Amino acid sequence: MAKLEVKDLHVAVTDEEKHQTKEILKGVNLTMQTGEIHAIMGPNGTGKSTLSQTIMGNPNYHITQGDILLNGQSLKGMPVDERARRGLFLAMQYPSEIQGVTNAEFLRAAINARRPKDNQISVMDFIKELNKNLELLDMSDEMTERYLNEGFSGGEKKRNEILQLLMIKPSFAILDEIDSGLDIDALKVVAKGVNSMRGDSFGSLIITHYQRLLNYIIPDTVHVMMDGRLVAQGGPELAKKLEKEGYAGLRDELGLKVKLTDDED
Amino acid sequence: MTVEIDNLTSQIQMAAGKAGEPTSFTQKRLSALKLMNQLAMPRMQEFSYKGWPIMPADGQLSLNFPQASDQVVQAAQTNQPDKPYFYGFAGTQLVSTNHGDQLKKAGVFCGSLAQAEKEQAAIVDKYFMSVVKPDEDRLTAYHAAFVNGGAVVYVPRGVEVKEPIELRLVQDSTAADQPLVFHLLIVAAPGARFSVMQHLMTVGDQANSANIIVEVVAQEDSEVHFSALDEMSAKTTVYHSRRAHLDAHANVEWAVGLMNDGNTLGDLDSELLGEGAKADSKLIAITAKQQHVGINNRVTNRGLHTTGLINQRGVVLDSSELIFNGIGQIVHGAHGSNAEQQNRLLMMGKEARGDANPILLIDENDVDAGHAASVGQVDENQMYYLLSRGIPEPIAQRMVIRGFLSAVLTVMPTQELKDKMLAILERKLGHE
Repeated sequence: MAKLEVKDLHVAVTDEEKHQTKEILKGVNLTMQTGEIHAIMGPNGTGKSTLSQTIMGNPNYHITQGDILLNGQSLKGMPVDERARRGLFLAMQYPSEIQGVTNAEFLRAAINARRPKDNQISVMDFIKELNKNLELLDMSDEMTERYLNEGFSGGEKKRNEILQLLMIKPSFAILDEIDSGLDIDALKVVAKGVNSMRGDSFGSLIITHYQRLLNYIIPDTVHVMMDGRLVAQGGPELAKKLEKEGYAGLRDELGLKVKLTDDED
Repeated sequence: MTVEIDNLTSQIQMAAGKAGEPTSFTQKRLSALKLMNQLAMPRMQEFSYKGWPIMPADGQLSLNFPQASDQVVQAAQTNQPDKPYFYGFAGTQLVSTNHGDQLKKAGVFCGSLAQAEKEQAAIVDKYFMSVVKPDEDRLTAYHAAFVNGGAVVYVPRGVEVKEPIELRLVQDSTAADQPLVFHLLIVAAPGARFSVMQHLMTVGDQANSANIIVEVVAQEDSEVHFSALDEMSAKTTVYHSRRAHLDAHANVEWAVGLMNDGNTLGDLDSELLGEGAKADSKLIAITAKQQHVGINNRVTNRGLHTTGLINQRGVVLDSSELIFNGIGQIVHGAHGSNAEQQNRLLMMGKEARGDANPILLIDENDVDAGHAASVGQVDENQMYYLLSRGIPEPIAQRMVIRGFLSAVLTVMPTQELKDKMLAILERKLGHE
């Protein structure tokens, strides 16, 4: 069983143009274990993506206070690729395109990076696993010989993120707005992929604006983030309540003096 | 210093006579020799090669056809029987030939320049140094006067050769002071279609200069695919000029992998003379260590409705220098023409220097012209994405570099060539 802990996390980003540092996360606490699905909901600009990027180790985000622990070990200063090999996975909101490198080749490199040099995955095993997952996600074989994300539609990119998740089998997957830009059919496919991973050795942190995705991937715990902090926590019913009453409703109920990005000035 | 014309005239006559060269060819040498004192070295924008031993000093000039060493001869042989048309040159001599009967039946000539001087005298007479001219600069005059090895490919009217014609040139640097002056003349008669692969390499670790000229005469409606893999040694100072003349509706595609380890001054050039001619000029260069490389990649639209495309990508490692000049010229009267170019450099070495200069010279109104140039570092977003999948940094970096080169790499005509280029890239990255 693996454990991911976020402790009093403060994170700042530097605006390259203005040369200003801005604090985005202002003390986030979160503990999750494999076997659990957590969702973080919240309005735009409250730091949800910052949290996911910081956990993964994106060099543009700086921890100013607090820590992130994976199985008790601090991730501070740990390179991105090592975090990944230790079990973290981030399904990106905007996956990069890389011409000249096929999807299949990329997937094999990612899998083999986790295996010893003298025990790399065989072509047969790889293809078997790949075909199984392609079928699950309703993707065509042809996708694997295309260049990594190049010319993929928004929906194809998201499916491709989930394909990677299924192939790599991390302990913890952070899904950063995996539902954005997806139609209902694609959303169901993505949910099917994530649900197929559910079990004692897999945990997921789902970041979303909308409750809809959570109809298909039922979370154990729902957190609400506002202004760089997790301000509320509950079961799946909390997501439904938010859908009905909106973030402003919850904010007022909690008596928070937080400006939401979409508020009129 | 000046070239001693009289002494060299008799030296050339002696050496050429001994080699059994037709006097008409020797006359071409001598008229080029006479030009040498009046001509300056070519200038390249934004790049200096002052002080390079790019050709022998004036007092060291002489015409020689040195016998290649055994190692060089061996390297010039192919051990792959599946190459239908293969010609291996050990320095100045043709030592290995795989020439299918089919080519002969179709009237295709492919052989050494010396052989062509006798068997295809009319072709050599008419086209040798007709695309690149002896009086352009000191290097072209030197070439015409002192050429000591070469090949000629002639494909007659309407003939299509499906498999690539491969020419391997192994420069002999097992001894110093034996400059290689090599000429490749390619003539495509109207409607001919074929591809030529030129592979340049070095055996030996002595210092030498290599002067390589490739002329492509692409007559009406012909189609020539020319690819090159240059991997000459660190101690070989290379000048190369590869140029095509395109008549109406001719199509020439260049795919050049410039992977020399030594200093290189290079020209890749297409003259679109006839209406509707099209040239696509793609080049990849990788430089490393202390190397300096300057490349002019030029397409000139002269005919109506001509299309000239340039796409070059370079990876600059260690403390090397790489200059890309993309020169697109549309002359007055070339109505309805199109000139597009991309010049991109990926700077990897901390002390690497590089520049990508798009130079557009447009002298007509109803034309399309565009350019893009960039000099940048490895794409951080791409790196982050690959790393986030657990792929270790060195492997991720290679993937990003391959992605960067891919637009040009994918058009390399054979998988063998692509694999070779990637292997060289790997070797050059290895010593970073």
